[in-house]
Amino acid sequence: MKVSFPHMGNAYIPLSALLTNLGAEVLVPPRPTSRTVDMGALHAPEFVCLPFKVNLGDNLRALQMGADTLAMVSGMWACRFGYYGRVQHQILRDAGFEFDSILLGRDGLLPVYKKFQSTAGGNLLRAWVHALRAFKRKAEAMDALETSARQRRPYERDKGASSRALDEGLAMVHRAGSLREIDAARGEALALVRDVEVESGMDEPLRVAVVGEIYAVLEPSLNFDIERRLGEMGIISHPVMSVYKWLFRPLKIDTSILLAERRARRIARPYIAYVLGGEEHQTITGTINAARKGYDGVIHLYPFTCMPENICRTILPRLESEYGIPVLNLCLDEHASPTGMATRLEAFSDLMKQRRGKRATA
Amino acid sequence: MVKVGVPRALSYYRYFPLWKTLLEGVGAEVVLSRRTARGLLEDGVRHCVDDICVPVKLYFGHLMDLKDRVDRLFVSRIVSVEKCESETYTCPKLIGLPDMVKGSLDGLPPLLEFVVDVQNRSLKSSARKLAGELGAPAPVARKALAASLEQQSRYERELLRGRAPESAMETIFANGNGDSSRREREPEKAGDVTIALVGHEYLIHDPFVSHDLPGKLSRLGANTLLMSQVPAEVIAAELDRYPGISWSYEKELLGAASHFLGRPDVDGVMLVIGFACGPDSIIGEIINREVRGPESPPLTTLVLDEHTGEAGVATRVEAFVDLIRRSRKHRRPGS
Ligand code: SF4
Ligand code: SF4
Repeated sequence: MKVSFPHMGNAYIPLSALLTNLGAEVLVPPRPTSRTVDMGALHAPEFVCLPFKVNLGDNLRALQMGADTLAMVSGMWACRFGYYGRVQHQILRDAGFEFDSILLGRDGLLPVYKKFQSTAGGNLLRAWVHALRAFKRKAEAMDALETSARQRRPYERDKGASSRALDEGLAMVHRAGSLREIDAARGEALALVRDVEVESGMDEPLRVAVVGEIYAVLEPSLNFDIERRLGEMGIISHPVMSVYKWLFRPLKIDTSILLAERRARRIARPYIAYVLGGEEHQTITGTINAARKGYDGVIHLYPFTCMPENICRTILPRLESEYGIPVLNLCLDEHASPTGMATRLEAFSDLMKQRRGKRATA
Repeated sequence: MVKVGVPRALSYYRYFPLWKTLLEGVGAEVVLSRRTARGLLEDGVRHCVDDICVPVKLYFGHLMDLKDRVDRLFVSRIVSVEKCESETYTCPKLIGLPDMVKGSLDGLPPLLEFVVDVQNRSLKSSARKLAGELGAPAPVARKALAASLEQQSRYERELLRGRAPESAMETIFANGNGDSSRREREPEKAGDVTIALVGHEYLIHDPFVSHDLPGKLSRLGANTLLMSQVPAEVIAAELDRYPGISWSYEKELLGAASHFLGRPDVDGVMLVIGFACGPDSIIGEIINREVRGPESPPLTTLVLDEHTGEAGVATRVEAFVDLIRRSRKHRRPGS
């Protein structure tokens, strides 16, 4: 079985570990580029949201690489994401590709569990237990590395050094096989990031919360690697979501994630009273919390025509004035350009600096 | 008497008879916004995020039209409309509509929110809450609700007979929807081709955005069939073949499309979708790929937004009717 799945940040690292341990051969498509987006957009319905097009492009590339099985989460959902797998796989079949689908959520857990009967060899249950442990361990390592690079970046002496250390570290974790190797790789990789030289005596960096639709926040190819950009501009970013939480939230085993979700819903309720099926609660609450914590601004990222975030976008100007925090709205589509993004970030950074200056003198 | 403004947009097309009867039953005067016109739509566009769907922009335009001439604004929150085992919803924008209104428009009269969430609360409790806000005692509210449900089912019966929403309203209310500016022509059923329209009623039946699509078809000599003519059981039976959708209104589109595409007396189906409509972008694809088969009659998709011109719609409709006439001649030579 040659299995593939669309990209979501560094999720391919734990997901590859999971599937490899189940005996599947994993094909990771190249990181999405504008070519991926173009390929996806060519086959996608015209005004479907951008993550759909990127995912579809990833799938196309994987099929061209020889994948014979495509996996995707799917199911009953309030938003479009729940239908991605179903529609994308149909589009690909109509385009003449033959492959097997794993639609997690829609097919129920048992068929997915049994799917690996032939590849896992021997004891299926044991293979799953081991695969899930490797998955979790790698996801934790990935999260720790991402967090540490994010904190280091604004202070680095040599621009880009933290990102290079992060990439190297992630590759080490990705290569690691056994649980023991994963732990060792994690330690070494974290040391790499820690060893990045920092500037001393810097001003306190600007702090921004990054909120919005989950792919737009977490997938660097959609947001032109905003986290890295901000870091290298000397700004600390605080994304309200992480790939780790994205992976573990649906599994409902990590109570801290579930409690945070509930808290976010509660805080957002005066502004959004019902569940809309996206990250609307995180967007609203993330903005309010950013103001309460004294951050300098909020960046709101969302794909063109994104439904829940369109609603947030409508409401955010009110929060901006009620809580006194500037919000930069960035709407992403396949025509967005990295230079456009860079210009807007520069302008926003200037605005935040000015505000900070004013607050200091006031 | 307290004047309550009801925007002539979105769920108005489905529920106005219920709302009007209920509001009047508890002692309010209902003021309906004017019909969509260029200025009204532009007003809506100005108060909305660029990339939101045109029906929401229209809704905002209708609110602006009402805001200075009423005491309260009636705003609906349609969360769930189906009582079934699986969780179903409407569209996120219909669920979050009052939040968007409250969160972005200033200087509005106080809102009167009406929640439809049949999976979690009864219509009765929503009606009671509304009546309470207008100061009506419980027995009055009860009576008003009974009367409004009665009107609503009369309305739905008219829709099933193939009437367009506002024409059906005219029948059930002695004085129509309270708006005498309108004179409805009955659709004549004498055309040589029959075309079914599938799409959200607030798009198809807003004559300004759809450029009077149903009227255009009948002037071209086509009979039109509407989604609202398909009984719920028929839709439900069709949906057995396409499970796994949790958007109730999109299920109707899907079921109706499947029904029409399989009916021998239907010569063509027009799928009318709104640009930037999230659910439509998915369901349109499912209809085109899963439902349409080699034996299906022609299916075309018409995308509407605030920039769609009259000429564009006219050309598309004429071309489609032509195509059907030609392919029919082809199919039945000599007839
Ligand atoms: S949340 Fe936005 S981007 Fe994600 S599926 Fe829904 S509409 Fe698309
Ligand atoms: S269903 Fe589509 S057109 Fe209707 S409110 Fe939702 S996004 Fe807009």
